[in-house]
Amino acid sequence: MSRGRRRSERADRAPRSRRRLPGVSGPQHPSPVPCGEDVVVAPGPLLLAGVQEGPGLAVHRRRHGLLVPHEEGFPDAEALAVLAEQVRLRGRGGAGFPFATKLRRVAERGGRRRPPVVVVNAAEGEPASHKDAALLRTVPHLVLDGAAAAAHAVGAHEVHVVVPAERHRVVTALAAALAERRETGDPADVTADASPLRWQVHVAAPRFVAGQESAVLELIAGREGLPVHRREPAAVRGVRGRPTLLSNAETFAHVGLLALHGAEPALAHGTAEEPGTTLVTTVLVTQDGCADPVVREVPFGTSVASLLPVPGATPEVASAPVPVLVGGFHGAWLTAAEAAEATVSSTDLARFGAHLGAGVLLVPGTGVCPLGLTDRILGHLAEQSAGRCGPCVHGLGSLATAFGEVTSGREVPSGPVAELAAVVVGRGACAHPDGTSRLVVSALQALADEIDAHSTGSCPPAESRPFSSPRPGSPGNPGAGEEHRWAS
Amino acid sequence: MGLLNRRAQRGGVTLEVDFSSCRAAGLCHELLPEVIGLDVWGYPVVDGAPVPPDRVREARAAARACPRLALRVVEA
Repeated sequence: MSRGRRRSERADRAPRSRRRLPGVSGPQHPSPVPCGEDVVVAPGPLLLAGVQEGPGLAVHRRRHGLLVPHEEGFPDAEALAVLAEQVRLRGRGGAGFPFATKLRRVAERGGRRRPPVVVVNAAEGEPASHKDAALLRTVPHLVLDGAAAAAHAVGAHEVHVVVPAERHRVVTALAAALAERRETGDPADVTADASPLRWQVHVAAPRFVAGQESAVLELIAGREGLPVHRREPAAVRGVRGRPTLLSNAETFAHVGLLALHGAEPALAHGTAEEPGTTLVTTVLVTQDGCADPVVREVPFGTSVASLLPVPGATPEVASAPVPVLVGGFHGAWLTAAEAAEATVSSTDLARFGAHLGAGVLLVPGTGVCPLGLTDRILGHLAEQSAGRCGPCVHGLGSLATAFGEVTSGREVPSGPVAELAAVVVGRGACAHPDGTSRLVVSALQALADEIDAHSTGSCPPAESRPFSSPRPGSPGNPGAGEEHRWAS
Repeated sequence: MGLLNRRAQRGGVTLEVDFSSCRAAGLCHELLPEVIGLDVWGYPVVDGAPVPPDRVREARAAARACPRLALRVVEA
């Protein structure tokens, strides 16, 4: 064997960690919810208060004041953890992990000689979600204050912010906000000690799994931003092996509010079990794409029905109560009746086997079949697999095909699709297979009537008439009329 | 019996698969068929339950044998 040949053989092989498994190739399944960057942002009570005044630092400081030591001292890790516990702050990226627990773990593991690292995850890989984009474009300094406060609490000197490549306006907005802080020498960055924070921006590739925790850590480490198996959570070993406080951008915005104003403002909203507010993106899926997403800040306990599009607001709205997909592409379907009853609350949604996830409500508009939509989402999710874990690569494609067999009436819901949905769970380096399985299982349950109809060859949504009379039981659209169109 | 195995018997050990490294060689299943199953594509299926004490030795052998070092014995 000649030397040259051996070398070329070696060159054919990608580095071990990057080798991809064969899977579905080529973008044959684009996002079924092809929203652009135009988002409607409604002013809200806490995070989104006064968004119409613009994202500048001066406006932010006028409203929220300086991030300076409180009378009882600037929140150290324990004080901040206590505040987070008072408002029961949970991560807003989808997993819902208690923030206080994470904060304490990072603070314990860190120390002067091994300062922890803070990571703000605004990668928002879910195409239907726009809340983190809305935050960074309307109130970036609240997110940055939250990150700065958390960094000072755990003794971190560096903050990494991860933004999505495909959302140019978010990348620009963050750059502008950081530049403004640098230029004005904002004192918020140097509160407790003399060393200023180092801010680093990373741009994540446009793919569904780019926002997964391990993918974000890979990106920061200088590798391709794809999920990998991690033995320990980021709070124990994250960026360069340091304890890392990695949370979603919305979570940091809530931390910012806690650090600036204490727990009282959040406690004035929501329910006793779940105080405060949360961001919800509502997307109306139309036959040829989707209407502009609406981002709202709502108190926990708000009725889901009150957030759904109101008949008459747009020409393509649904003509009758429709099933709603709660939690985005990794979420769960609610029947029309469940959606009328459910509230924005993790405990309440758990009754229906759903969870808030990243706070996305997907509503099929007139003529959009929820089963067909699920089909397209599954095709997209299978294609968005990072291609690293066998059960995901093989399983999600098979799962999408098997679901298609059910929606076309060739197979029963208890057939291969149920088996496949069970076999992929917990068998990947990230939450992608689990989330996809959850979507399938919920669709088989909540869309049982639609599946029955399909098995007899009919599809009611596709045959339905356009909207003609007001939808009963819809309490109206909160904030309608004063919504701020954020298209600049 | 080594110290490690005695400790393992007291606390119990579990198996963990790094699916981003696993390439379905199937050696783990060959060495430990009672504990490690295979799915239709040949990837290991472990249920996260403690390995039976009399299988711990084989579990360690399976972890060592994996050509991708994708199987790990986790001490409880």
